[in-house]
Amino acid sequence: MNSIVKSQKKTVIITGASRGLGLAICNQLLQENYFVVAISRSLSSELSNLCDDHPLSIAHLPYDLANLDDIHTLCKAIIEEFGRPYALVNNAAVGHDGVLATMHNSEINSLLNINVQAPILLSKYLSRSMMLNRTGRIINISSIIARTGFSGLSVYAASKAAIEGFTRSLSREVGKAGITVNCVAPGYMQTEMTSSLQGEKLESVKRRSPLGRLASPADAASAVLYLMSEQAKSMTGTIMTVDAGSTA
Amino acid sequence: MSDLKKTILDCMEQVAVIADCTLIENISDDTVLLQSGLDSLGFAMLVAQLEEELGTDPFSEMELAVYPRTLGEFVTVYKNALS
Repeated sequence: MNSIVKSQKKTVIITGASRGLGLAICNQLLQENYFVVAISRSLSSELSNLCDDHPLSIAHLPYDLANLDDIHTLCKAIIEEFGRPYALVNNAAVGHDGVLATMHNSEINSLLNINVQAPILLSKYLSRSMMLNRTGRIINISSIIARTGFSGLSVYAASKAAIEGFTRSLSREVGKAGITVNCVAPGYMQTEMTSSLQGEKLESVKRRSPLGRLASPADAASAVLYLMSEQAKSMTGTIMTVDAGSTA
Repeated sequence: MSDLKKTILDCMEQVAVIADCTLIENISDDTVLLQSGLDSLGFAMLVAQLEEELGTDPFSEMELAVYPRTLGEFVTVYKNALS
């Protein structure tokens, strides 16, 4: 690690960095000269390429957020190695779809652990370091499903509504320490997570959107980058929807 | 005064400045933490600062939630964690 290069950059920790929206956010963070700590279970070829292209600006940490017990140790190790972070992007999520009545309890449990408890614990341990710097950003990735509802996604919807509630209250708790806490709520995007949405159902979502298309991961990543910026210093406790107008 | 207690009191002073709080004078083992001048955010900062200084956050490492009432109890929690 080149400490001189790193010291000039603000450190951002992002979960679920290996693909989809997480990867798009990593790309834009690197373009904007942040130092990125990219957390994901495994290293995708796309993220690996990004690490090769920016060896001084990004570090990959393999971690499975289903392991809640070691999140404190993970955060401690990150702070020791990379210093106090400027920002955390809680992006990792799972989206098992299925009728609630037949969803296995272990899947419900695992979804809530990864989508709700893991971001809460990461925020707990990393916001404390931000407090000592008197500045910081926590950006949680929600979904329009938190408010619109979608058959087959009730547990996922519950997890995203929980994250939005968490965001509003935490913003009140840590605002005095100069930390902002916001959500970005994307609509349907064409990522691996929504790959089950195909054919007529997908066309119908596109048709109903005022812009006649889906928002892209890059569109949602731009909203994250805005909330990360100095220009967004007076925004906290908000939910920014990026859905090509689908929920207008 | 033990080194540990001195470290904790030094950190309290540093954190009071960052948290924009004013510590009371003559803080002793019997001082009730919530009457020391630090607010709840200040205590969160104190735990973070001590984790950087001492390498441990005993409150996260203990299996059950513990909330020390006085400075003496707070120091004992760290003493036990470091022993």
